Amino acid sequence: MFHSERFWGRLRGVINVLLVVYMLAPLVVTLVISFSSALYLTFPPPGFSLQWYEKMFDNPTWTRTLWTSVQILVPAAFFATVLGTAAALALSRMQSKWAVVIRSLLMAPLIIPVIITAAAIFGVFRIWGLYGTLTGLIIAHVILTLPFVLATVSANLAVFDKRLEDAAANCGAPPWTAFRRITLPLISPAVMSGMLFAMVISFDELIVSLFLSTPRVRPVTVQMWSNVKGDTDPTIAAIATVLFLFSLFALLIDGLARRRSGRAPGL
Amino acid sequence: MSLKDRNIWLLAPAVLLIALCFLYPVSWLLQRSVSEPVWGLQNYVTIFSKTIYLGVLWNTVAIAGATTILCALIGFPVAYSMVHSTPWVRKVLIFSVLIPFWTSILVRSFAWLVILQGGGVINDILLGIGLVAQPLDLVYNRLGVLIGMVQVLLPFMVFPLYSVMARIDGSYVKAATNLGATPVRAFFRVYLPLCFPGLATGAMLVFIIALGYFITPALLGGRGDIMIAQLIFERIDEFGDWPLASALAIVLLLGTGLLFLLINAFLKIRGGRI
Amino acid sequence: MGDTRKPTGISRRKLLATSLYASASVAALGIAGRPASASVDLEGREMVFASWGGSYQAAQETAYCIPFMDATGAFVIQDGPMNGSKLRTMVESGEPVWDVVDVTDTFLAANEALFEDLDFNIVDASPLDQTYVHKKGIGCIIWSYNVAFNTDVVGSNTPANWADVFDVEKFPGKRALRDRVYPMLEIALMADGVAKDDLYPLDVDRGFAKLDTIKEHAIWYTSNSAAQQLFVDGEVGLGVLLNGRTFDVHKKGAPVNLSWDQNIRSIDYLVIPQGAPNADVAQHFMNATIDAANQALMANLLAYAPCNPAAFGMIEPDVLPWLATTEANADKGVLINAEYWRENLAALTERWTEWKLS
Repeated sequence: MFHSERFWGRLRGVINVLLVVYMLAPLVVTLVISFSSALYLTFPPPGFSLQWYEKMFDNPTWTRTLWTSVQILVPAAFFATVLGTAAALALSRMQSKWAVVIRSLLMAPLIIPVIITAAAIFGVFRIWGLYGTLTGLIIAHVILTLPFVLATVSANLAVFDKRLEDAAANCGAPPWTAFRRITLPLISPAVMSGMLFAMVISFDELIVSLFLSTPRVRPVTVQMWSNVKGDTDPTIAAIATVLFLFSLFALLIDGLARRRSGRAPGL
Repeated sequence: MSLKDRNIWLLAPAVLLIALCFLYPVSWLLQRSVSEPVWGLQNYVTIFSKTIYLGVLWNTVAIAGATTILCALIGFPVAYSMVHSTPWVRKVLIFSVLIPFWTSILVRSFAWLVILQGGGVINDILLGIGLVAQPLDLVYNRLGVLIGMVQVLLPFMVFPLYSVMARIDGSYVKAATNLGATPVRAFFRVYLPLCFPGLATGAMLVFIIALGYFITPALLGGRGDIMIAQLIFERIDEFGDWPLASALAIVLLLGTGLLFLLINAFLKIRGGRI
Repeated sequence: MGDTRKPTGISRRKLLATSLYASASVAALGIAGRPASASVDLEGREMVFASWGGSYQAAQETAYCIPFMDATGAFVIQDGPMNGSKLRTMVESGEPVWDVVDVTDTFLAANEALFEDLDFNIVDASPLDQTYVHKKGIGCIIWSYNVAFNTDVVGSNTPANWADVFDVEKFPGKRALRDRVYPMLEIALMADGVAKDDLYPLDVDRGFAKLDTIKEHAIWYTSNSAAQQLFVDGEVGLGVLLNGRTFDVHKKGAPVNLSWDQNIRSIDYLVIPQGAPNADVAQHFMNATIDAANQALMANLLAYAPCNPAAFGMIEPDVLPWLATTEANADKGVLINAEYWRENLAALTERWTEWKLS
């Protein structure tokens, strides 16, 4: 018994290491290339240089478009999480056949090819004056990310024991209190991962952003894509590296903050 | 009671948003699949009478299916480790799984090429230690597509699984083993069914997103690895063939819907037995 | 508003056009080039210019937009990246956002209805080689598909033409080929011995039969950046690559070069989307792109070829050999027949996909 547990533990360790290598390998390559002295993309690089970082920071477009992306992803993820969680809660309690229809409707943006969605949204958003605005991009990204929140939270509610909430209600707790004190803590890992999905999807989204962006409002993905006919140099590798370091930094800060405040480690 | 009212208020914002800003414009566009060039089903006839559309649809399902299975096989142990490890290991795993999102599609694919191509990192190592005599074909084929897609789509399997596994009471499995079940049996009969909602959600997300992929397959795949989204994009971008593109989208939508209904029905039958 | 100004504008421009040819000095041309469009006062007007982004659009901004702004007082907003679906959607909705767009010849041919006719009372295309003038667009750059190779891989045994690219015995290993029915059919037919001037109408069956012989020996690329990479890393020894892309890595020191034999020229047109809000400004803008000094500036920046013959005199000598429209290079190649592709692109693209799947 002890022996077998150790075996499984070791196996898990090996799998974890392989996973980290698999996931990080492309990023390591990118990181190395970002310090390349060659003027074109090549690996291994012939020498070391910081020219691509200089080029990146010299060009205000990169920082500006990055900031635009952040301005879109934060509200988009927030609204997608709130609306998606609310919908998941309601759907989990509904018994009627309409629940299936409504769930399919809310999941549809995931299945319709993005190019179709992008063209369709572009058409009406221009009429409504949302084209080329942050609001327009935020709304579009809420639509595209909401299914992820809905799906993750729903999965968690499926293993959720509703009797807990009923018990709270029977003890006289108002619905909001029962939700806040009982349901929310139990489903919070799912809500958090839904929000995480919403953030990364919004950040990574290209096609709809391509349709809705203008020179003034342009997310960083569009800027990176916008090099179709020119040359390709390691600047894009430098940007990826900076983003990577930024998220690593955020993770460390988060870890330190948690340790200090003694909060339980969540996602 | 007020419960029903409350549900309506919880649903209203999401439903209104999707109906107004998604369903309305998209269905207006998709109706062109039956209304143009003339009213009728001619676009659907085209799709089902030409081998390329059926071939590409089949490709798409095959690639998405393989990606889903691989994500499940890799994602399950990873999610398990995330639940049952120290916070530090958990952080490293979460961080690693989310990494691909921080690099643009172009950089990501380029990095994979550098690693996988004939003169790439892996082949250099394999040739260097004499494990192979000829470089292996790791990219510009189906394998390359899967390596690239699984890496990006893994989080959609891992996180739903993680959030469900984190809620599973370990005492169930203990109870089963105490009652004489072998660990393997306890795992398959007790633990796995409990993870099922997470696994199903993850598989659904990965499969659906994979259906709509096309830049990664186009960059890492071989000549046969064309996916439906690429064909739809091409029909619109080059020819403005909205009717046919819309018809393809509807086939994709109905096909996916039908598939999930079947899976659902299948699970319900099995669910009765578990 | 332009009606009263048009006549004077034209006569002055024609006058200047002659003076352009007369003058030999680059500096003199530079100065003379400016007042040409200055006869139009577009102070306070705006227009949106959409192209393919990156260094390409930056060069266009420098070469066309800034001189135009200096001369007329109009303001040019840079947008993009150009995307066929977005362009189509905005034109079909009746109110495009873009006033001038950079499109390829095959796209223009297949989608003529999307664009406004040029007003040749305003646009003076007479200095241009008329091969590159379309009733709806002005050729801004000419580029070509070339036989390209990595000198480290092929050594002194450099491929010269498409027959070499298809010769798997002389050049074993993979080759990089474009995943698109054009120019691959033209390439296959020339490799099979069809003379460059007898290509059209294409013998499609013969082309596909020739392509069959190389099907398993090729990496089919969809992205030009990815293709550049294949050559730079020596993953392929030879194949097809755009001349501009080859020049880009060559000048940066990669061991990649090209042959001009049987090159296939293509044109990027600047066009005005149907219903563009500032179409009148856009018509005047076309003159800035015709200007020889501006075209020369574009060529010096990125080695994409001009279609105004007067520009050659102002192009740096080390750039000249890389241009598709110099007499020597153009004679060795053929211009893609956009009319042929307008009729056949949809059907042949389907057949191409089918061929790839089989």
